Amino acid sequence: MNVQFLNPFIEAAFAVLDAEVGVTAKRGQLSLQRSAATASEVTVLISMVGQVKGVVLYGLSEATALQIVAKILGQSFAEFDDLAQSGISEMGNVITGQAGQRLAEAGFESNISPPTMIVGKGTLISTLDFERLQVPLETELGTIQIHLALRESINGTVSHPLPIGGA
Amino acid sequence: MYKIMIVDDAQFMRVRLSKLLTGHGYEVVEAENGEQAVQTYRSIKPDAVLMDVTMPEKDGLEALAEIRGYDNQAKVVMLTALGQESMVLQAVQAGAKDYVVKPFDPDRVLRALQKALG
Ligand SMILES: [Mg+2]
Repeated sequence: MNVQFLNPFIEAAFAVLDAEVGVTAKRGQLSLQRSAATASEVTVLISMVGQVKGVVLYGLSEATALQIVAKILGQSFAEFDDLAQSGISEMGNVITGQAGQRLAEAGFESNISPPTMIVGKGTLISTLDFERLQVPLETELGTIQIHLALRESINGTVSHPLPIGGA
Repeated sequence: MYKIMIVDDAQFMRVRLSKLLTGHGYEVVEAENGEQAVQTYRSIKPDAVLMDVTMPEKDGLEALAEIRGYDNQAKVVMLTALGQESMVLQAVQAGAKDYVVKPFDPDRVLRALQKALG
């Protein structure tokens, strides 16, 4: 994992949370994770291809997810239904897209897959079993965990990445 | 009344954009991937299209090219999380009228549509 790829994601997440949700985020302690099981109630997986290659995950609690979509859409959600799930998936898409723009400005062209949503803590995903950098972003609505498993692939071509298999 | 086709794989985005556009007097049709967008364009012939890029089945750049191949007057505005120059360039070369990056400013989207509609 190339640590220079971390900041574009943190900056992108700060910008998107500010613009869409109206909350300020604070960055917590970095750690290394390796587990094939999801550690959060809600996980969004996105793959990247190109000169930066790998997987990005966003993990959060259902309560945090519900508050985020309620803020964006301006209506309350009683349950984490399809609409709420697609709102959190889309937030992952927008953060990753913004990070991709920052990476491109730093000389790394990439493209991203549509998001895959996994609901349920401890869900086993065989494709998750690799070492990844984890950084928590603390907000007043709860914590969002960003996991990055990205490497430089300088000859990587920017094609169309496939969604990564979850459920 | 202008008919706008909203193309986005996220139901959440389609709901948000539908609210915005119907609130400003537009009629709305939806498509949830590039493949559906091409088919719906042919059958409904909307006045303009708001097109996401990152979608399953067929992405928004491919759908843009197909729609412009079918109708070289098609008015397509891209609305995507991908903001890098290479993507913008690709879209403009394929005939996109404008390119709006998410998170979107509602006024920016409305202005882009108004301009595309002429
Ligand atoms: Mg999308």
